[in-house]
Amino acid sequence: MSIEVLTIIGESINDSVPSTHQLFEDSNIEGILELAKYQDEKGAKYIDVNIGLREPGFMADLVKKIQKVTSKPLSIDTPDIEIAAAGLEAYQPELANHQKPILNSISRLRLNMFDLYKNQPFIPILLTTEDVNENGESVMNHTAEATYNTAKKMMKIAEQSMDDFSNDQCILDPGIVPIGSDSEGYFKRLMESAARIHSDPDLAGVNMSVGLSNFTVMLPPKCADGSPVKSALESAFLTMAMPLGLNMVIGSVKRKYRILEESHPAMQCLSDILQLDGFDVIVRVMEFYS
Amino acid sequence: MENIIEQIAACVEKGKVNKQSPFPPDMKDQDGADEIAAAALKNNIPPDVLLDGCMLGMDRIGVKFSENKVFVPELLMAAKAMNEVMKHLKPFLESGAVKHKGKFVIGTVSGDLHDIGKNLVAMTIKGSGFEIIDLGVDVPSEKFIKTIRENPGCFVGLSALLTTTMANMEKSVQAIRDHCPETKILIGGAPVNQNFCEKIGADFYSPDPQKAAEYMNRSSAGT
Repeated sequence: MSIEVLTIIGESINDSVPSTHQLFEDSNIEGILELAKYQDEKGAKYIDVNIGLREPGFMADLVKKIQKVTSKPLSIDTPDIEIAAAGLEAYQPELANHQKPILNSISRLRLNMFDLYKNQPFIPILLTTEDVNENGESVMNHTAEATYNTAKKMMKIAEQSMDDFSNDQCILDPGIVPIGSDSEGYFKRLMESAARIHSDPDLAGVNMSVGLSNFTVMLPPKCADGSPVKSALESAFLTMAMPLGLNMVIGSVKRKYRILEESHPAMQCLSDILQLDGFDVIVRVMEFYS
Repeated sequence: MENIIEQIAACVEKGKVNKQSPFPPDMKDQDGADEIAAAALKNNIPPDVLLDGCMLGMDRIGVKFSENKVFVPELLMAAKAMNEVMKHLKPFLESGAVKHKGKFVIGTVSGDLHDIGKNLVAMTIKGSGFEIIDLGVDVPSEKFIKTIRENPGCFVGLSALLTTTMANMEKSVQAIRDHCPETKILIGGAPVNQNFCEKIGADFYSPDPQKAAEYMNRSSAGT
């Protein structure tokens, strides 16, 4: 990995990745295990495991099989409590140098997932992008303040739910959206949310993570001059977000993430976007790759 | 009139919103969708000609999008240019002087808050001449059914991004089938595919916005 201090949770074993979905559909477990081994070798610190809507028993089997081919800890990725329970129960910390698994993820609507902690302690990813309103319905947070407030609430709940709680045993996910359709200022708010979380002494030491590949979905792979679009914009994002406390990503071990100079066109693009609104953001992104 | 259709179509396809807009660079300082639509109406060009121009432009960009020749930002700019024309057409659409081809009720299914895909589809269908009734995100089945009943003959589109909300999509399709059996149901979203569409009994799976527009045009033309 080019950025030593960045923890990568390898994203490949995910049912929403078309090639991986096909492996699942074909019951090609060997293929899935290859993905685990490959990501391990390429420097992933955790291996994410998302089986989509399959049976909890399938998650349990897969966790056991993956742990036979890698000593990296796993990230059990599902919003379904039964699948999460099965994955966590099957997980053996002693096969991963006694490291806890990650549970990806817990939102305000899924707080019952903390009940699983007593049987298998885990490091939760806490979603801060959504909250619940007075009617108990889920709502998206549309301001940095709302995101930050949700982060505070989620950390408070984590503290009450985890025996050996400490900030560094939690991961906050302040949410990332595709920059190519960001006419509503999500990127700006994400940076502001991260800054607020990072500067709160009560939250010192907490980890912050985003699903980095989301940032550049729906963009062309290459600029008009043939240079890569995605690794450049994602690297620019990391260069700007890591000083604000981002220290983990769910991402690709194949991407060459690196810290960019301020003069890099991708850095200039994202810096400009912080000053732009509405469709000017979209136009600026197109200008970057055209 | 051919000329106006082509001018509007070119602005929509290229995302030239108005004269001020710096995008695309090769149309800098030229009139955009806004100015051309305003001038056309002033010159007594029939408003449905403008709608034809939008449809042609959105069709062209939609095809390029399905072929991976352009990407989401270009599609969004095209939709924005189209919306400029639609602003001028609004009074004619409201008075009934210009008619929509039909209505399209769209929303993301219960539990799913991701709306980018839904929005792209809604824009493209709007550009195809349909009235859009956007129910937003996390839409319960009852709300779909209520809206369908208020808009007889409408199409309905369900969107899901998460594998986990596919189950809710299935429930919504079933509920719509039970209460409004004649309604044409379109589904889409990253985890959805043709097999799933057949399994849950939806009418059409669309891998991209353009295919949905084409399907609705075919269906509403009765072919």
